[in-house]
Amino acid sequence: MDDGEKKEEWKWKKIGEELERERKSMQKTWRSRSRSSESRGGGGEGEGEGEGEGEDEGKWAGKVLRECAKAISERDSKKTQHLMWMLNEVATPYGEGEQKVAWYFLQALFCRATQSGERCYKTLTAVGRKNESFEAARSLILKFQEVSPWTTFGHVASNGAILEAFEGEGKLHIIDVSNTLCTQWPTLLEALATRNDETPQLKLSVLALPLPVPSSLIKEVGQRMEKFARLMGVPFQFNVISAFSQITKEALGLQDDEAIAVNCVGAFRRVQVQERDNLILSFKSLSPKVVTVVEEEADFSISTQEDFLKCFHECLKFYTLYFEMLEESFPPTSNERLMLERECSRSIIRVLACCGGDCCEIRERGVQWSQRLTNAPFSPTPFSDDVLDDVKALLKRYQPGCWSLLLSPPSGIYLTWKDQPVVWASAWKP
Amino acid sequence: MHKYSSLALFGIGRCIKGPSTLPSSGPTPCSLTETETETFETSLFASAHCLATLSNIVYSQLFPLSNMQMMPGDPFSLSTSIGGFTQEQNTNPNPKPNPPPKKKRNLPGTPDPDAEVIALSPKTLMATNRFICEICNKGFQRDQNLQLHRRGHNLPWKLRQRSNKEVRKKVYICPEQSCVHHDPARALGDLTGIKKHFSRKHGEKKWKCDKCSKKYAVQSDWKAHTKTCGTREYKCDCGTLFSRKDSFITHRAFCDALAEESARLTSVTTTNLNFKSEEGASVMNSQHGLGRGLISAQGLQNVSGIPQFGPHGFRLDFNGMEQQRPSLSLWLNQGNPHMNNNNNINSNNSAPDVGPNYMSSCSSSGLPEIVQMAQANALMGSSSMVSNFGVLAGSNSTSANLSLSSLGKRGEAGGTVVDLASIYHSEGQNNNSKPASPMSATALLQKAAQMGSTRSTNPSIFSGSFGVMNSPSSQTTSLNNNNNGGAAMMLGSNTATDFSSLTHSSNSFDQLVMQTNGQLQSEPVKLKLHANAVEHNLTRDFLGVSGGGGGGGGGGPQFLPQELAKFASMGSPMGLSQFTSNR
Repeated sequence: MDDGEKKEEWKWKKIGEELERERKSMQKTWRSRSRSSESRGGGGEGEGEGEGEGEDEGKWAGKVLRECAKAISERDSKKTQHLMWMLNEVATPYGEGEQKVAWYFLQALFCRATQSGERCYKTLTAVGRKNESFEAARSLILKFQEVSPWTTFGHVASNGAILEAFEGEGKLHIIDVSNTLCTQWPTLLEALATRNDETPQLKLSVLALPLPVPSSLIKEVGQRMEKFARLMGVPFQFNVISAFSQITKEALGLQDDEAIAVNCVGAFRRVQVQERDNLILSFKSLSPKVVTVVEEEADFSISTQEDFLKCFHECLKFYTLYFEMLEESFPPTSNERLMLERECSRSIIRVLACCGGDCCEIRERGVQWSQRLTNAPFSPTPFSDDVLDDVKALLKRYQPGCWSLLLSPPSGIYLTWKDQPVVWASAWKP
Repeated sequence: MHKYSSLALFGIGRCIKGPSTLPSSGPTPCSLTETETETFETSLFASAHCLATLSNIVYSQLFPLSNMQMMPGDPFSLSTSIGGFTQEQNTNPNPKPNPPPKKKRNLPGTPDPDAEVIALSPKTLMATNRFICEICNKGFQRDQNLQLHRRGHNLPWKLRQRSNKEVRKKVYICPEQSCVHHDPARALGDLTGIKKHFSRKHGEKKWKCDKCSKKYAVQSDWKAHTKTCGTREYKCDCGTLFSRKDSFITHRAFCDALAEESARLTSVTTTNLNFKSEEGASVMNSQHGLGRGLISAQGLQNVSGIPQFGPHGFRLDFNGMEQQRPSLSLWLNQGNPHMNNNNNINSNNSAPDVGPNYMSSCSSSGLPEIVQMAQANALMGSSSMVSNFGVLAGSNSTSANLSLSSLGKRGEAGGTVVDLASIYHSEGQNNNSKPASPMSATALLQKAAQMGSTRSTNPSIFSGSFGVMNSPSSQTTSLNNNNNGGAAMMLGSNTATDFSSLTHSSNSFDQLVMQTNGQLQSEPVKLKLHANAVEHNLTRDFLGVSGGGGGGGGGGPQFLPQELAKFASMGSPMGLSQFTSNR
């Protein structure tokens, strides 16, 4: 071995040692951070986390992730690598809340850094689809509704608004563009059957999201709905809509004596940003009595590359809340929660790492949707006191202290989780 | 003579005119002649009774006791108890000799034809506090209350007595024109009743439950509701309990038990549940794209053709993923008019990308598709298949879908089978069914669960079972004899060694066997099998809610264990040979 090689070797050794040292220090940092989360206010060591850390000492994931995102947007590959590596050490989808958030966002950031977002998304989706079935979907949705009002909030508000708009009508037709797989409708059917002396007939045309929903799945759902309606004694008809383009008077076969309602839950965000106004216009063309819109409250719109960081922050904030909500609502070992978290991971990747393409999950805030709807033009109708009472009664049935209702005139109400608005529900009239 | 003194104490003696020479003042007793005593006693008794009656009225105002309690056999004890009462009371000069008989209530909906019909205006009906004190303007609901209040103002007051003449019964009609109780023939006999009715039906609902936000017009209704709100539990047919109505409703709409129930309800309406070969053939013939299957199917219907079945007999498309139609139930519906509906709904058969994971709605073909589907779904491990057993009782396509939809589930066979076993276990318990088989349903299912977890991907299951079809031929008589037991009888000497194949195999097995049996034996067996389901259904209330899980299991699951057992004996994942060895 000559001198040159020795030198090389020594150099590499040095680099190795240096890396080792850095690794150890990072681990120490992380350990101290998580330790300090246990001993609140115990003051984690070093790193000048001082400012405003008080209650955030345990929330290391957000900080590191933000750093990482910043590094990516600045194209600082060394720092990116370091941070990613460090996150990788401590993140896991099976750990506690912070670790989960770290894991899923790390995955998304990695995809972004390596430009593999689309591919990763497709793989994850395929895997998810493989394990899907009616039973799985059903148990997932119903269990989620049982432990958390995240979805049922929108259902109760929308159903209330729809029932009031349909007061006195004999032929009802609801256009359901949503991701609920019709879990919203049994309570509406029951209300129709019991509230009125004369039970009206109901036609339900459903465009199930996210597209494409396997046709067998939607058919199964449809048959269940038909059976249940029969049980309730409500004359019922179920139609399947297969595309947004079919939302027209002719394609849906709307009749003049029908009272129309459009129910749009978790659907707008799945529409291409530039198509959203068109969709609203198509709703208007149906001359509905009421349009109910329910969306999650977050703003993921990225108009330019520079907004990536802003979008990232939003995304992180929203999903941290969501994960926290899931963690506290579900029992500790819950398969359903894992499924929901995985669904989130796909969404996160889609938002952060997929640029364009036909996959889309850009959320907007209630005020933004309101703006779009007002431009249609639609005018907002406030929820009646009865409906609000129903919603409040609903929230009472869940975990006390975490959930509450926030009124937001002129349009809509918010469901709040620990005082953070998370879901927005509203009703509109043409 | 204490009677007299008591009377005198209350000044009653003063009112009694007659031959007696009672002193008008003071309770000094004096001697009375016999006759005088007699008369006196009669009138005394009468007045005592009046006093009692009077006291009743007063008491009922003051203390909410029923009148009857105050009708004493011993009025004087009553008198003494209200001894402190003022002496200014007026007495009723027309006493009744006996306590009035208890008021009879007419049967609901049949007002007394002699009754006086009273029509009050809405204002009067809704009026509370009609009686106002002129001094302080305090309102009272009853005149009696006002009178008592007036005493406090030292105003003259008079309490109304009970009327002495026979009171004419009053009935009230609702002032609302469109109401059914506006008609005197449907009048209500009670003033409070008509008031409540008017509020409930035509009034504004001012009272609201804060738990479920249900509204009430009458306060007492609301109070009664808040006491029970939230305490009521809802039980689904599948056995799950809910404390919340909304989650119960949503669950029920998607529950498998509902699908089964509806299936059984539809089976009630079907009159012909046989698989007449001609009928079956025609139905199958009408199926699209099942040429190969048809041949086999028709072969199936022929008893003698059964032995041809087996891996070779079935010219099925073993890779028929593109035709996965969970038409399991269709063979059941061959006599069922509902089948046509299924055809219409499920005319679109294509979902190739979905693969075996999703069972699309049934087409109306019978057996062939079942076979195909079974083949197509190598993994029969889905427990939901077991749930489809309930479909046996004449379900329509939905149930079949429901069971088959998770056929594609992988790796969950064991656990889910066990779960289903417990479901059926409980359902079996709920039912009054008599498992006449040697092995109980529960035991069979549990056995299945034990054996079931490993047999997941065996495409030859089907072929095996088909070959097996022949076996029952010798035992069909036993099937005839015993509905539920029939399947178990089939077990015969075969223990449930291949129970796993049952649990994993699709219901098609059951149905194939059923069909086979039907063909061999057809009507009696099938009808009996279904009859069981039917009678269980007929006793359930429509919603099936209050019946709890009682009827839930119904006839369907009853069969399942039997069928399972049957298949255990017949089906073998190892192929035909194993079966032949069992023979």
